[in-house]
Amino acid sequence: MFINLNLLLGATELGLIYAIMALGVYLTFRTLDFPDLTVDGSFTLGAAVSAVLIAGGHSPWLGLLLAPVAGILAGLATGVLHTRFKITPLLAGILTMTALYSVNLRVMGKANVPLLGLPSIYDTLARSGIPEKYAVLAFGVGCVVLLVFLLYWLFQTELGLALRATGDNETMIKSLGINGNSMKLLGLGLGNGLVALSGAAIAQFQGFADMSMGIGMIIAGLASVIIGEVLLGSRSLLRVLIAVVGGSVVYRVIIAIVLRLGFQATDMKLFTAALVVLALTVPQFRGKQEYDSLRR
Amino acid sequence: MAELVIKEVTKAFNKGTINEKTALDDLSLTLEKGDFVTVIGSNGAGKSSLLNAIAGLWPVDKGRIWLAGQDLTGLPDYQRAALIGRVFQDPMLGTAASMTIEENLALAAKRGMRRGLKKALTYQRRKQMKEELAKLGLGLENRLITPVGLLSGGQRQALTLLMAIYQEPQLLLLDEHTAALDPKTGEVVLKLTKNIVESLKLTTIMVTHNIKDALKIGNRTIMMHEGRIVLDISGPQREQMTTEDILRLFAETSGSQFSNDRMLLVQ
Ligand SMILES: Nc1ncnc2c1ncn2[C@@H]1O[C@H](COP(=O)(O)OP(=O)(O)OP(=O)(O)O)[C@@H](O)[C@H]1O
Ligand SMILES: [Mg+2]
Repeated sequence: MFINLNLLLGATELGLIYAIMALGVYLTFRTLDFPDLTVDGSFTLGAAVSAVLIAGGHSPWLGLLLAPVAGILAGLATGVLHTRFKITPLLAGILTMTALYSVNLRVMGKANVPLLGLPSIYDTLARSGIPEKYAVLAFGVGCVVLLVFLLYWLFQTELGLALRATGDNETMIKSLGINGNSMKLLGLGLGNGLVALSGAAIAQFQGFADMSMGIGMIIAGLASVIIGEVLLGSRSLLRVLIAVVGGSVVYRVIIAIVLRLGFQATDMKLFTAALVVLALTVPQFRGKQEYDSLRR
Repeated sequence: MAELVIKEVTKAFNKGTINEKTALDDLSLTLEKGDFVTVIGSNGAGKSSLLNAIAGLWPVDKGRIWLAGQDLTGLPDYQRAALIGRVFQDPMLGTAASMTIEENLALAAKRGMRRGLKKALTYQRRKQMKEELAKLGLGLENRLITPVGLLSGGQRQALTLLMAIYQEPQLLLLDEHTAALDPKTGEVVLKLTKNIVESLKLTTIMVTHNIKDALKIGNRTIMMHEGRIVLDISGPQREQMTTEDILRLFAETSGSQFSNDRMLLVQ
């Protein structure tokens, strides 16, 4: 069979773990309307922190928990560049991303940290009674459900409303006494925290962290967000969060199928970029003002 | 001390370039509590700049501003917002289009206050919102979960007005908030404004392009020209004033014709 159950399982696992990253991208790009390119760097940063901790003999869970802390700091760096030094969002993100390339290499000490034979969070889950085959799936589902729930809750708090409004209308939020800069720092921190968490989970899943694993991540995240919104719509807050997760899974399934067709893994960046261009130019999307910041 | 004191405020834009423009020129103004002041003047007279200086959109070059006994001069706009409610000329500016009516109002309910991790919308708050929305008489109380982007300009402006006063402000700033609406809708929003300001006895500054409205509404009218106040009338003197008087006075004091592109449209 061309599309078999194992392909679907594998793609779903990846899709769920990458969905954590896509949720982060959704938070910055869509909620905050801040095209944040920090993502490529903060994803690798999360993977690096987690891998180095595990290689140093620490618990894989510690590696998973500290990664988002590093990601938050990366997001705050971009935030400070933008809010304090008045650098445009795109350039602020690129600056942090570039700087992170050196930082990540420092963290890892070399271009690639293998985790072969070392414990991962999935091993510990498998040992705690979850069938080994489904350990990754269990983690992915659990983590994504928890995060979707948390974000959904956050978006309805007083603070969350202020965060969402910041991405919608900066004149209004100021006139209502909201400090837009604080909101941007909050959103960028949280977004990149999620991205780094995803990076950590991926590194443990694939058994290594390397310098280039974050390249193109922002476009993959964007593709997931857009696919999700096209397929599932964005009628309500909960729905759009679920759509982002769904979009991530669908995106990974598409990638798996395209790979099956005989394309190289290295062709996927081109494919993904084309996918985003396509999505942004289909008629039903053109009228969507939400994507104005992505078009000229 | 009076409620609002503006003392010798100057603001120039593009300083040191050929485009230098003095928007506010050593301007002083004092408002008593409950004053409802209307502001008229030609295009570029500095009316919006006056409101922006009070709201703290940018720092002034010179002078000080006090509101309700508090020195606002050094504060950024988002901190002054605790005391000030604003409605802008552009209906798009006052509300978040992607968010619902109840979410916009919930944002306004916390104006100038700490925003924490409490649920923004509670049963109690929704109930109160419905009551307040009903007073607008636009049927918005039945559309709490409608995204504001789907409302008409007039509805959005009425909602912005409600948001500006939802937490009673010390000062309400209205900058030609009916100018972008069709005449009939503008009339409705203006009437709402009058009712709200009078029933709450809000200290208010309203910029308008309509001289007749300016003389009819509120208790005091000022006219601006080139960043200064050139006319300040209230009481019986104001009651007897007509649009023609204003135009003549303007020509006398400024040596030019009163010209406001939006004014021509309504006469
Ligand atoms: N942010 C700004 N940057 C540069 N110049 C400005 C700025 N704001 C106002 N100005 C200039 O200051 C002067 C006063 O402008 P202001 O908007 O206060 O006038 P106004 O009385 O509100 O006019 P209108 O009736 O057209 O709304 C104008 O010459 C304007 O070009
Ligand atoms: Mg103006």
